Amino acid sequence: MKLSLLLFAVGLLMILLQTTFLHFFPVVPDLILVLCVYWGLHHPTVGAVLGLFVLGYSVDVVSSPILGINAFAMSLVFLAVYLSSRSIWLHSPLVSAVVVLLASLIKGCALVLVWALFLSTEGFWMGAIRYILLEALVAALLAPVVFALLRRGQAYVEKAHIPGL
Amino acid sequence: MLAFFRKYQIPLSCCFCVLLSLYILTAAARGQIKKDPIGPLFLWLMRPLQIVAHSTTSWIKDIQQSYFTVAGYKAENERLRKRIVQLEVERNRFLEADATNQRLQKLLDFRSHLPSRSITASIIGNSASNWFQSCLIDKGSADGVRKGMSVVTPLGVVGRVVDAAARSAKVLLLTDPNSGIDVMVQRTRARGIVSGSLENGTVMKYVKRTEDIQVGDRLLTSGLDGVFLKGLMVGTVNKVRKQSVGLFQVIEVMPAVSPAQTEVVLVVNAQRSAAKVTAPSGPGLR
Repeated sequence: MKLSLLLFAVGLLMILLQTTFLHFFPVVPDLILVLCVYWGLHHPTVGAVLGLFVLGYSVDVVSSPILGINAFAMSLVFLAVYLSSRSIWLHSPLVSAVVVLLASLIKGCALVLVWALFLSTEGFWMGAIRYILLEALVAALLAPVVFALLRRGQAYVEKAHIPGL
Repeated sequence: MLAFFRKYQIPLSCCFCVLLSLYILTAAARGQIKKDPIGPLFLWLMRPLQIVAHSTTSWIKDIQQSYFTVAGYKAENERLRKRIVQLEVERNRFLEADATNQRLQKLLDFRSHLPSRSITASIIGNSASNWFQSCLIDKGSADGVRKGMSVVTPLGVVGRVVDAAARSAKVLLLTDPNSGIDVMVQRTRARGIVSGSLENGTVMKYVKRTEDIQVGDRLLTSGLDGVFLKGLMVGTVNKVRKQSVGLFQVIEVMPAVSPAQTEVVLVVNAQRSAAKVTAPSGPGLR
C-alpha cells in the first residue's frame, strides 16, 4: 500500500516534469513508461494496474485530443510486463534498459494502432516510426537511472514506519 | 470460481483497464463524453504545481542568462565583477519587464482590434507526449473560456481550445496532426487546410496542382471554419512540391507563431462575431 502510494505520487510528479521542465528537450522522455515497467516488475498488484491506468488517463487529460489513448497503452504495457516478469531477471542496468526499450516499442505500437483506428493517419507513418524509435531510445537510456532512484525510494519506504499504512 | 479470480486478479484487472480505456476512446471519438468527471479535477490539482514549476523554469532561465552575460567580463577585478553581476541582474530584470511591457502593449493593441470580447491567458504547461502538440493555459470555463474558441497572438494563430476545466484549458496547437484550419493564400486567394503532420511538420493540404503557390506566400485564416476570425496570420509557405501523380500539391508551412516562445495568448470566440480582423500593422499582421 505504502509503496503503491509512493509510486503513484512519483507518477504525478513525472507528469508535472514532462509538462514543464522536460519539455525543453527535443524529445520528452516518457518517464511514466519507465515507472510502469518498474512497477510491473517489482510490485505488480491490482492497485498498480489501477494506478497506472489513472496516470495514463492523466497524461491524456493534459496532452491528447482524445481521452483514453495513453490509459490504453499503459494498461497494455503493464500487462505485457507482468506476463513476462517471471522470465526477466534484472541483474544489470543493461537488462533494465533493454526491457524498457521493448516496453516502449509495445507502447508505440499500441499508440499507432489506436491512432490508426480513431484519428487521421495522413502524413503519419514516417513521423510515428521516428517517434517510436526516439522515445524508446531515450526511455532505455534513462531507465537504469530511474530504476536506481525508484529502488532507493522503495527501500526507504519499506524501512520507514508510517502510521495508518 | 473465486479462486480463479484471485489467482488471475492482475491479468484480469489489466484486461478490464484495457477494455475500459477502449470504451472511453470510442466514446470520446464519437463525442459521447460531454462531461469528463476526472479531467477537470486533475487539471485543477495540477494547475498550482504547474504555475510554480513554470515560474521556477523562468527563474532558472533568468539565472542562466545572467550567468552567460557575466562570463564575458571575467578580466575585471573582484569588486567590479560583483558590481557587474549586480547591474546585470538588475538590467535583465528591467529588460524582461520592458519586453513584457511591449508584448502586453502589442497584445492590448491587437485586442482592441478584435471585434468580440477576448480573454488574455498565460501558457502554463505543454504536452506531456511527443505525439500531440498541445498546451495548457491558466484560464478556464470560470473565466469564460469554452471548447472550440480560438487562441491567437498578435503574430497569428496558436490553436483552438479542445477542453476547458474551471481554471485551465487545453489548447490543441496549429502544429498538431489532428488540427485543421481553413486558410487562404493572401496573394492568390487559393484555399486549403493547414494542419500539423508527424512527417513534414506543418502542411497545407488539399490545394489543387493548378493553383499558383510560391515559397514565401502568406497564409491567412479564411474565417469559413467558424473557429477563427478572417484575416489572421497562420504562416508562410516554406516549400512547394508537385508530385508526378495526384490531385494536390504538397505544401510545407512555417507557422507564424512558435508556441515554444509564446507566453501570453488571447482566447477569442469567433462564433459570436464572425467579422474580419482589422489588425494593426506589425510583423506577422496584414
